[in-house]
Amino acid sequence: MKNIFVVVFAFTFVVYSGSITIAQEEHQHHNKKDTTVDKTKEDIVSTLRDVNPKVTASIDKIVEHYLHLKNALVNDNSKDAAASGKEIVDAMKILDKSLLTNEQKKIYEDVEDDAREHAEHIGENAGKIEHQREHFDILSNDLYDLVKAFGSSQVLYKYFCPMYNDKEGAIWLSEIKEIKNPYYGKKMPNCGSMKEQIK
Amino acid sequence: MKRIKKILLGILFILLIAFIVIQFIRPARNVSGQVSETDILKTYNIPSNVSNLLKNACYDCHSNNTNYPWYSNIQPVGWFLAKDIKDGKAELNFSEFGSLSSRRQISKLKNVESRIKDGTMPLPTYQFIHSVARLSEDEKQLLIDWIKSTKDSIALNR
Repeated sequence: MKNIFVVVFAFTFVVYSGSITIAQEEHQHHNKKDTTVDKTKEDIVSTLRDVNPKVTASIDKIVEHYLHLKNALVNDNSKDAAASGKEIVDAMKILDKSLLTNEQKKIYEDVEDDAREHAEHIGENAGKIEHQREHFDILSNDLYDLVKAFGSSQVLYKYFCPMYNDKEGAIWLSEIKEIKNPYYGKKMPNCGSMKEQIK
Repeated sequence: MKRIKKILLGILFILLIAFIVIQFIRPARNVSGQVSETDILKTYNIPSNVSNLLKNACYDCHSNNTNYPWYSNIQPVGWFLAKDIKDGKAELNFSEFGSLSSRRQISKLKNVESRIKDGTMPLPTYQFIHSVARLSEDEKQLLIDWIKSTKDSIALNR
């Protein structure tokens, strides 16, 4: 009788101790270089007026850490990516929302929760770079909407990688005029094309 | 030899007592008993084959209503389930999906899609016990197609 209990006990531990991680299938990609630079890129100028300089400084800080994150992913460095994710979360905490006008607040708050959540996930998932890239995809959309509205002190370029997400595609922001793909890292550094220039 | 047997029996006895004692420590149940107004099933028109998949494979950990199996009454199984449910709801709660902004709904759906594709959701441990949560390739595709069209329609109406 006692033995039965011990067996049941042991079994429940075996079944539930930690989740079994299924080996993530590495996405297979052909090595074809996709380096077409879109000639029809447009210039985007921020839509909001009268942004408080302190807010601009905070947004610049968020963007700066985002760019670190992007570069870490370009270099397949999951640990640095995680550190940058955390920096983004911290930088977002510093932004003083009382300095925002109602219109600015509406735009910022729409982006805020989502961006923070994805930055947090990236911060918590050191070692799982594909998972971080997934969140980076959504975070990039959030940050793009943010700088499109609030502007950026440095010129940013919006790139598009047509292959990511089973060819649904994904964007990223970059400070340089050279394609360095954060979604595939060293596997396919040149995949993508420039779409916009944000000033 | 006799001594070793005695010690082993002693250990078994202690384990048995511990097992009985922990049965009295029961986690709170995740059962609201109703489908909330903000539930994704009420927010969007979802075909029944899709909603059945959601209910069977996701709702135990990602809604306010868990359909508890009998062994959830045995501890520590119940504790592990309670933790999975707590973590699951913190990540995504379909019962409150309608209260999220369009942006967040789209990004949650995107993550669901990725989890189904990479096979990390439903949790392998959960699938091991729940045969209904084991999604066939067709079922996965059905969910993914539904997610894609829902994402698009949210983006359009934003």
